[in-house]
Amino acid sequence: MQTINLPDNMTMPAASPEIFQQLGTLTRQLHDTLNMLGVLPNLQQTVDNLPDARSRLNYIATKTADAAEKVLNLVDTAKADQEHIAQETRKLAKLITADPVKAVASGAVFNFVQDVETTTRRVDGHLTDIMMAQDFHDLTGQVVAKVVNLANDLEAQLVKLLVQAAPPEQAHKVEAALTHSHDAAPIEPKLDGPVVNATGRTDVVANQSEVDDLLASLGF
Amino acid sequence: MSNPADFKILIVDDFSTMRRIVRGLLKESGYVNADEAEDGVVALNMLKNNKFDFVVSDINMPNMNGFELLKAIKADDTLKHIPVLMVTAEARKEDIVLAAQTGAAGYIVKPFTKATLEEKVQKILQKMAAAA
Repeated sequence: MQTINLPDNMTMPAASPEIFQQLGTLTRQLHDTLNMLGVLPNLQQTVDNLPDARSRLNYIATKTADAAEKVLNLVDTAKADQEHIAQETRKLAKLITADPVKAVASGAVFNFVQDVETTTRRVDGHLTDIMMAQDFHDLTGQVVAKVVNLANDLEAQLVKLLVQAAPPEQAHKVEAALTHSHDAAPIEPKLDGPVVNATGRTDVVANQSEVDDLLASLGF
Repeated sequence: MSNPADFKILIVDDFSTMRRIVRGLLKESGYVNADEAEDGVVALNMLKNNKFDFVVSDINMPNMNGFELLKAIKADDTLKHIPVLMVTAEARKEDIVLAAQTGAAGYIVKPFTKATLEEKVQKILQKMAAAA
């Protein structure tokens, strides 16, 4: 429970049982009124979805962090490979400058060519992996759309509550704001999108081999 | 057709990043002849006006999703021979089964690897060659 900090010259008055009784009655009246207006069940449903939104936001944080780390590691490795080629090129340049015939005859030139081919193939692999790491954009984008949708729902429910609670002369302004906010095209993903937490779920597959097994079991 | 460059592929995904990734991976495997569409409506229009040998499609897209596109392709006598590989984040078993029953040639869940995409494309093209 939150503690109320009062100024030094003030003390909390002892609450009388009547005040508690009145507060209880008011709370009950508010609850019943909201239920009658149909606000509370919808609001409750939206609030119930908040833990799901939290896990979706965690998913986004993890996915983006993993992608960033993966890309930075791959760039480090690729830069080391590039530096290796640069060093070997400088060494070979010195050998050729000193004695071109010996540089070829000793196999230094041929070894260099092989080394460059191997290293550039490796760098190409790193570049492919960097490209693949960008898939987080698609996956997190779909999850962001879900969270935005939930935020829109929550906003709509709260504005509805505000309309019901506002004085009549103010209510039309709130209703106008509500109509305006609904004019913006909502993002409504129809499908589930990425599975943010497959733990305990039997209705989803966890990886590609489970997809293949499922399709094989059906004869596809 | 045995040369990958001879196949014309249509990549359908609402995220341009994913279209570029799929296109880049296919290019590395020699499938250099590819076009892109951002949803099912655009894809269907492109399929009706151009010759494509293969479609790689996402499912969760605006306007016309991947299932609707797949159904439209399979319902069109001039397009139904084109294999459609679904590449999607939808991991529900019922979606996978529905895709297979609707006529998808393969199903890949995101995130996927280069090897998985290569394997599925190869498998589908081998089936195509055997059926020809």
